[in-house]
Amino acid sequence: MSAEGRSQPAAMVIAAASVAACTVVVALLTPTVPVRSAGVFYLVAVLAISSIYGLWLGLATSLVSALAFNFFFLPPLHTFTISSSGDWLALAAFALAAVVTSQLAARERAEAEQATRRAAEAELGERLATLIANGSQLQTALPQLGRQAARALGARDGGIHLGPPAPSARAGRAVPIELDGRRLGELRLIDAPAGVADSADAARIGRILAGLIALGQEREQRLANEVESEALRRSNELTTALLRTVSHDFRSPLTAISTAAEGLRFAVLEGDERELVDTIAEQSGRLSRLVTNLLDLSRLESGAAVPAAEWVDVRDLVDAAVADVRANAEVPAEVEHEANLPLVRVDAAQLQRVLVNLLENAAKFSPPGTPVRISAAARGGRVSVSVADGGPGVPDAERAHIFRPFYRGPGGREPGSGLGLAIARGLATANGATLTLEPADGSGATLTVSIPAAPAPEGRPR
Amino acid sequence: MSAGEHRILVVDDERPIRRALEVTLTKAGYKVLTATTGDEALTAAALTPPDLVILDLMLPDADGADVCRQLRDWLAAPILLISAVGEEADKIRALDAGADDYVTKPFSPGELLARCRALLRRAAGQGGGEAVVDVGHLRIDLPRRTVTVAGEEVRLTPTEFDLLKALAVAGGRPLTHQMLLRTVWGPGYADEMHLLRVNMGRLRDKLQAEGVERGAIETLTGVGYRLREAGSDPERGP
Repeated sequence: MSAEGRSQPAAMVIAAASVAACTVVVALLTPTVPVRSAGVFYLVAVLAISSIYGLWLGLATSLVSALAFNFFFLPPLHTFTISSSGDWLALAAFALAAVVTSQLAARERAEAEQATRRAAEAELGERLATLIANGSQLQTALPQLGRQAARALGARDGGIHLGPPAPSARAGRAVPIELDGRRLGELRLIDAPAGVADSADAARIGRILAGLIALGQEREQRLANEVESEALRRSNELTTALLRTVSHDFRSPLTAISTAAEGLRFAVLEGDERELVDTIAEQSGRLSRLVTNLLDLSRLESGAAVPAAEWVDVRDLVDAAVADVRANAEVPAEVEHEANLPLVRVDAAQLQRVLVNLLENAAKFSPPGTPVRISAAARGGRVSVSVADGGPGVPDAERAHIFRPFYRGPGGREPGSGLGLAIARGLATANGATLTLEPADGSGATLTVSIPAAPAPEGRPR
Repeated sequence: MSAGEHRILVVDDERPIRRALEVTLTKAGYKVLTATTGDEALTAAALTPPDLVILDLMLPDADGADVCRQLRDWLAAPILLISAVGEEADKIRALDAGADDYVTKPFSPGELLARCRALLRRAAGQGGGEAVVDVGHLRIDLPRRTVTVAGEEVRLTPTEFDLLKALAVAGGRPLTHQMLLRTVWGPGYADEMHLLRVNMGRLRDKLQAEGVERGAIETLTGVGYRLREAGSDPERGP
C-alpha cells in the first residue's frame, strides 16, 4: 500500500499547511536575509511532501510554493506575474527537486514495501506451514489457513474450498489455488478490498497455499497408506498364525484317526462295516492332505519355507512324484525324459511337492482312463517339466485365477481345496523356478515348471 | 520262523498312535512292549532286549537320533523310525546314528508290517554277507564286479558299480546321500552331491536300457536312495 493513496484530502491539507508554514518562515526571515535566498526554504516543504506523498503532490507543492513566493515576496508584490528570468529558474528548480525527490522516495518506499511484504508473506507462509505440520489432518487446518491468508490480503475473513469452483462463487472474490496448473481449490475472500483477488499478492499467496496443501495431502496419503499396509500386515500375520496353529493341532489327532482306521481296515472286516471303515480312512486321509496344504501355505506366506538347495536330477524328482501320486490314487501317468538333462540346484522335497501337486491337479481334470503326461526337457539354460492333462483346458477368463489360493473355478465348483496350484507356484518361486500355464492349444491344460539349470562344479570329477 | 517269536518295542509318546501300533502288531502275531519316552525306551530295551524297535522320531523328552545312538551302543536289533512329512533332516541324523529304516506318517499297517518283516529277515541273515545279490532280474556279483540283467551283462564304470554295490550290500536299507558319497568316493566327498546325482543318473540309464525300471533304485527325496527289494510292495513308497 503506498502512502499516496492512503488519504488524499489529508495529504493536500498537510501540503497546503507546510507551504503556508514556509511562507511564514520566509516572511519572518526577509527582514534579515535577502528575499531570493530565503525563498530556498520552500524546498523544505517540496522535499518533505514529495518524499512522503509522492510525485504529484510534490509537483503541486512546488507550483504552489513558487506561486506563494512570487505572490508574497517577489515584486510586483501580490501578483502572480513573474518578471525576472531568475524567478522562472527558481520555479523550475522547485519542480525538478520535487520530481527527483519524489522518485527517489517512491523507489525507496517501493523497496521497503516489498521487503515488508516479503517478510509478511514469509511469516504467513511459516504460520501456514506450522498449521499444516501440526494439524493431524489437513481438513482441520484449512479454516485457520484460509482465515490467515485472507487477512494477509486485507480481507475481513476467508476460507479455503478444495475441489472445483462452486457454481455460485462470484468472480473476483476467490483466489485460485493451483499447483503446476493443477487446480486444488480456491481461497474465498469475505469483505476484501476491490481487485485484491486478482492482484499479484493474491497470486503469490495462492501459490504458497497450493504448495502447502499439496504437501499436506501427500502426507495424509502416505499416512493412510502406512496405516493400511500395517493393518494388512497384521491381518496376514494373524491369518498365518491361525493357520499354523489350527493345522498343527489338527495333525496329531488326524494321524491317530488315520492309523486307527488303517488298523481296522487291515483287520478282516467285510460288507457294511468295511465300507464304514473305508470311509473313515479315506476321509481322514483327505483331511490330512488339506491340513498339510494349509500348513504349507502358511509356511510359504510367512516365509518359513526356506529352501535347502542341493544338486538334484530332475528325473529323480519326476519319478518320485509319480510314485508318490500313484500311492494315493490310481493316476495313470506317461513319463518322458529327455536324455542328458543338466542338474539343477533346488530343495528336492519342495520341488517334488510342486510336481505332486501338478500331477494331482492334472488327474482331477483328466477323464477316467486318460493318462496324465509328464515330460522333462532342457530348453535354453533351463530344465522344464511339463504336466499335461487330457481335460477340457482352462477357459480364458480363468487363466489369471488358477494360481490364487482357495480358487476353485467360477462359483467354487471344482473339487479340492483350491490350494494345490497356489502352493506349487509358491514353492516353485521360492526355489527360483517359474510355474506357468501354457497357452491353450485345444487339448487340455499344460502346466510347466521351469528351473534354471545349474552348471556342475568344476574339479574333483570321478 | 513265526512272528510270535519276535518281540517289538514300540516307543511313541502319543497314546492313540501307540495303541494303534500295538493292536496292529499284536494281531500280526508279534509280542509288543511299549514305552512313551526315550528314557523308558532305554530301560525297557535293557530289561527285555527286543528284536526290533519302532521309534517315533519326535519324542518330547529326547532327540530321536540320540536315542538311536544310545540303543545302538549295545543293541543289535534293527530300529524302524516313525517320522512325519518334512522331518528329512531329523531322519538323516537318525539314519546316520544307526536307525535302519523309516516310515512316514500316515502309513498303512501293511506298509509297516512289510518293513518289520524285511528288517527282521535281514537281522536274521546278518553276518554272512552274500557274494551275489539278486534283485528281480538284476544280479550283482560282488567278487567278480559284474552286473547282469536276465543274463545280459551291463557295462558299468567302477564308480557306477561301487554305487550299486553299496546299495546292494545295504540290502534294501536306505542309504543317505552322505553315506553313499563317503562309501563310494571317500570321506572327503560328503558334500559333492552332484557327483552322486550324475552317476546315479547314468547307472539308472544303463539299467533302464536293459529293462530294469528306474524305480528299482528308489529315490528317497531329501534323504538318499535304497535298492528296492524283490517282493517288497512297489506300490507304496515310504
